Amino acid sequence: MTILEGRRLSRTYRLGSVRVPALDNVDIKIDRGEFVVLQGPSGSGKTTLINLLGLLDRADKGEVLLEGRPVSGMDEDQRADARRDLFGFVFQSFNLIPVLTALENVEYPMTLKGLPRKTMRRRAYEVLSRVGLSGKQGVRPDLLSGGERQRVALARAIVNDPQVVVADEPTANLDSQTADGILDLMRELRDDREVAFVVATHDPRVVARGQRVVTLHDGRTLGKP
Amino acid sequence: MSVWSLAFRNLLRNRRRSLLAGAVVMVGFAAFALAGGFMAQSLEGLREGTIRNGLGHLQFADPRGFEAGADSTLEHGLTDAAEIEQTLRSDPGVLEVLPRIDFVGLVTSGDRSVPFLGTGLDPAPEARSMDLAETLASGRWLLDRDQRSVVLGAGLAAALRVGVGDTVTVLATTTDGVLNAVDASVVAVADIPIKELDDRFLATSLGLAGDLLMADDHVSRFVVILHDAADDRPVLQRLLQTLKGRGLDIAGRTWEDLAVFYRQVRLLYMGIFGFMGVVLVVVVLLATANAMLMAASERIREIGTLRALGTRPGQIRRMFVIEGALLGAAACVAGALASLAIRTVLNHSGIVLPPPPGVTHGMPLHIKFYGETYLVGAVAMALTMMLASYLPARRASRMPIVDALTHV
Repeated sequence: MTILEGRRLSRTYRLGSVRVPALDNVDIKIDRGEFVVLQGPSGSGKTTLINLLGLLDRADKGEVLLEGRPVSGMDEDQRADARRDLFGFVFQSFNLIPVLTALENVEYPMTLKGLPRKTMRRRAYEVLSRVGLSGKQGVRPDLLSGGERQRVALARAIVNDPQVVVADEPTANLDSQTADGILDLMRELRDDREVAFVVATHDPRVVARGQRVVTLHDGRTLGKP
Repeated sequence: MSVWSLAFRNLLRNRRRSLLAGAVVMVGFAAFALAGGFMAQSLEGLREGTIRNGLGHLQFADPRGFEAGADSTLEHGLTDAAEIEQTLRSDPGVLEVLPRIDFVGLVTSGDRSVPFLGTGLDPAPEARSMDLAETLASGRWLLDRDQRSVVLGAGLAAALRVGVGDTVTVLATTTDGVLNAVDASVVAVADIPIKELDDRFLATSLGLAGDLLMADDHVSRFVVILHDAADDRPVLQRLLQTLKGRGLDIAGRTWEDLAVFYRQVRLLYMGIFGFMGVVLVVVVLLATANAMLMAASERIREIGTLRALGTRPGQIRRMFVIEGALLGAAACVAGALASLAIRTVLNHSGIVLPPPPGVTHGMPLHIKFYGETYLVGAVAMALTMMLASYLPARRASRMPIVDALTHV
């Protein structure tokens, strides 16, 4: 079942007076529980596509459909609510909130949903335990290792039970052993929760684990997406 | 993890900057509170002085008497003085009723003659209710209603070159337009705070004024002192109704209706204080806006992350505004403590301010605690901080998420 779809997506950026096409007429479908890898060289449009699919950016042309419904008519608040309820995000640089502990970082998306405090705490503990960070709840991000930070980010991404986790170069700042651990965890979470993962990467180890690999080049998909 | 908690922790993120911004607000608040306390104290002093220096809380006179000046000597005097006085005294809100005869004339001593503004009064209740008896520089206050003595302003006494124990001749026009004169001894010289009045002031007993003007028990007006000054308007309305019910055509005014100088000074003070308040708010706004702008600029990437996670732009703005409000509240508490400490030091310093225009004495510096000033100051500073926070937060929250996430 398709939960996220991009139809004929195009996006052009402006660098001063120069227009730089980043994505050109791309079609893509993501099914529930699928592990999709977007690969391609730098500047091929992976991040642009992931940003459009994750409702972080708006396409110049084309349409993103979320559970079959177009998102182009949504205002900023509706898009924010959709990201909160249906998406999880994992960034290359972890992007944890430095003033919050690991536990509080995980609780944050639930705060946005207005869940009761006890529920948030219980679920945050559960998810942190699931990513192997029991005992690190009260630690601030600057005292965690890179792998631990990415695990916290992963816990934060899945704590609201999203339909899709969008990950942009999630292993780029990690050593190979830690990266393998994170990838294993992603697969397990996908299997446990039937959450789809869309991962943009250069990393061949990630590509090797992709259930489906979409290759981008100069803003276009190569072969059948 | 509430937005309040997050905002609080963000404030602690760069303690030095938060402290500096807070210090600006603290100083602004303290300046506002101290200036407000000083202004309110000055106005209260002026109000009490206006009331106790002769105006009283209420005045009753013939309707035409309020329109005529002091030179209309009993032209519109009250003929039913005893009945009116009894009616006024019967109201439970009334503490004291002071009959007065206003008149003008010349006072002479030897070859010197000086015009005066005179008041015939009942000495005993005047001494109880008014500050006049306490302004005596020498001599003693009048003793009874019929005493043939006068109290002169220090300026008037100096112009006549007379002192306590000397005799002066008081000349005035009677109600029939005849020039009349009486001799009176000077029993006291009063130090009247307003110089123009000090040079013309003459007070005497109702008896002497009545004889001089051939007043036949008429009085110019009644001054009323109330138990509670705040009741002036209700009591005035009540008394006017009662007087009207008894067929007495009497007009009444509150002290504030009559105190033109007080109203002008209050307007002036409000203007000065308002202008100072606006300047303070602008200074605080500019100083703190810079700090909040820095705070927002440093966290653009983090704001991008929060928005990616599903935080609405309005929630981002609210978080910054709460940061501003928290900082403003903490700074106001510190400012309140600082202003209380400064106030204590100043009030015990013995500093005497130079006399304001028209006043002969300097005033000791005294800054009273006025809760309203602190409340208004806190609200003004908190709103200023919230505005200072809102503007950079608005800009940051409107930034495209992808730009914010890649911001360096």
